[in-house]
Amino acid sequence: MMLFKLGWRNLWRQKRRTLITAFAIALALFLSLFMRSMQEGAYQNNIDNSARFATGLLQLQHPDFSDSQSIEDILPGSDEFIAAAKSLDHISFILPRIESFALAAAGDKSKGVAVIGAVPSLEQPYSGIGDKVVAGELLKDVDEGVMIGQGLADWLKVELGDELVLYGQGYRGQTAAGLYPIKAIVRFPLPQLDKRLVYLPLSSAQQLFSTGEQVTAWVLHTDEIAQVARVKQQLIQAYAGQAVNVRDWLQMAPQMAQQIAMDKAGGVFMMYLLYGIVGFGLFATILMMTLERQREFAVMLATGLQRVKLLQLIVIESSLIALLGMLMGLALAIPLIGYFYFNPIELTGDTAQVMLDMGWEPIVPMSVSMQLAVDQLLVVSLLMLICLLYPLWRAYHLDVVSGLKGDQHG
Amino acid sequence: MSIAINKLTKTYHADSEFPVHAVQNVDLEINSGEFVAVMGPSGSGKTTLLNLIGGIDTPSSGSVMIDGKDIAELNERQLIGFRRDHVGFIFQDYSLLPVLTALENVEFVMQLQGLSSAECRRRATELLTKVGLAAQMHKVPAKLSGGQQQRVAVARALAPRPRFVMADEPTANLDAQSTAELLDIMQQLNSEEGTTFIFSTHDQRVIKRAKRVIVFEDGQLKQDQCQ
Ligand SMILES: Nc1ncnc2c1ncn2[C@@H]1O[C@H](COP(=O)(O)OP(=O)(O)O)[C@@H](O)[C@H]1O
Ligand SMILES: [Mg+2]
Repeated sequence: MMLFKLGWRNLWRQKRRTLITAFAIALALFLSLFMRSMQEGAYQNNIDNSARFATGLLQLQHPDFSDSQSIEDILPGSDEFIAAAKSLDHISFILPRIESFALAAAGDKSKGVAVIGAVPSLEQPYSGIGDKVVAGELLKDVDEGVMIGQGLADWLKVELGDELVLYGQGYRGQTAAGLYPIKAIVRFPLPQLDKRLVYLPLSSAQQLFSTGEQVTAWVLHTDEIAQVARVKQQLIQAYAGQAVNVRDWLQMAPQMAQQIAMDKAGGVFMMYLLYGIVGFGLFATILMMTLERQREFAVMLATGLQRVKLLQLIVIESSLIALLGMLMGLALAIPLIGYFYFNPIELTGDTAQVMLDMGWEPIVPMSVSMQLAVDQLLVVSLLMLICLLYPLWRAYHLDVVSGLKGDQHG
Repeated sequence: MSIAINKLTKTYHADSEFPVHAVQNVDLEINSGEFVAVMGPSGSGKTTLLNLIGGIDTPSSGSVMIDGKDIAELNERQLIGFRRDHVGFIFQDYSLLPVLTALENVEFVMQLQGLSSAECRRRATELLTKVGLAAQMHKVPAKLSGGQQQRVAVARALAPRPRFVMADEPTANLDAQSTAELLDIMQQLNSEEGTTFIFSTHDQRVIKRAKRVIVFEDGQLKQDQCQ
């Protein structure tokens, strides 16, 4: 207790130096935490947007499907099969889908297309597919019609109400063929999708490809992106012994995963750079704090302070500076991060337009995460420990006789 | 409670071309309650002798026996404990902790002994009153004169009830008036508390007040007389 009192008062012998050092820590912590919160918020937003747009965060597939993309490699579509997934926590969406290929023809035009069979009433709250309809209306769950991309409609020169022939290969080599009225035209912001997408109810797709009640994928979404890894493990356990492959968004969208990893590495590098600079300042302060008091320390040792206690005093003083910096940093960061959490930064210009085209809100949300804050506090603590090593070593080897003589280098 | 010094020698840079024989072959006995002045010119080895007796420095050869026990046999931890409990130190430049008040400076060394805060407060107040600083107890050293600071240092040295007090040129920075006051106080405490005082000096006024004077020259004991 008395060491605390002594340490605390010692800090204010060099008021300005202490405050500048603490403020440097505070600034580094604030900038790092703010940047990381913004990064993580943006990543989560991107991941969530893309997942809803395409693959979902997790999928159950047949083990061979990821390589073959074949309608032969499919899973049961029954309630019984998916019951195990439904019983898990933190899963917010479970969507059965068929994804395959076919030849689409109308009049004398034809083109290879991607066929997606899904349940519109389940998909709408997830991906908002209905919002992309530019002509006609969203399909019903049981519907004889199809929806096609605007680009494809232009290429085939078809309009709402025209008929489309789909022709391809179904389950077990059966012929897949059907005639469908065009009930809606949708606009996808990605041209490669817009030009080749045919969307029909799951039941129609199962009929077309003769799969019976089976699907090519069960698309899953977790409450939070951070839960993906844990839920994936639970799914793997739940479906152990069955021919089921659990894939996460990292595997299904490796490019995005890589992009995020690189961006994150950049942020973390900046963060360490910042802390590195601040570290030099902290080191200088702690070193000065001990070197300029060699005589005082020698007097304390002479008058009966055990050396461990002296080292403790130095640790206490440094910790108090670091703590002061942490508190100041958090005091700065928390209100600002909180503000931007409730009032996300709105994007403008080209980036905003791209997001708007995708049907996404052009904002960068803040991630509010205890973990991010704890990470920063750990980094500061570690930094302080590193800065303490040499000063502590000096104090440990301080010779009382030369210290009393004021010989700093004894 | 006696100090017995046998063939005490301290050589600095012993292995170098120019070894410094700071203390050479000194035999000396100091008994409980003595008031001893060590005099000699600058560089004669006074500080080194006091450091050796106080367990701050270690002899090159010979021994310092306190109550028949050689302090060279103590490890660092025990040595610090020995200094804490049995030796009071007074330095030329007072060496008080600048962030603590006079009272807290005196209490601090007792807290190191593990005494209760009530006991620390009681004794610190008593000692500071004895040295005439009852009204200045709550001031930090910077707010006190040199003479007052040295009186706080005397109170601090005596607070843990040490067997002896080592004072290395305690009056060197003080004017005549403060020197006289400090000597009065040291003498009074010497008789009241029975604490042994050993101080180095080259101030004639101080030497006159000592009961025993030891003269040092080139690290050797030249004279030892009671007066
Ligand atoms: N740590 C040391 N290293 C080398 N020489 C020292 C050291 N301490 C003291 N000396 C030398 O020992 C001699 C005695 O010094 P000291 O005991 O301080 O004398 P005094 O206190 O009488 O002035 C001097 O020559 C001094 O230079
Ligand atoms: Mg000296």
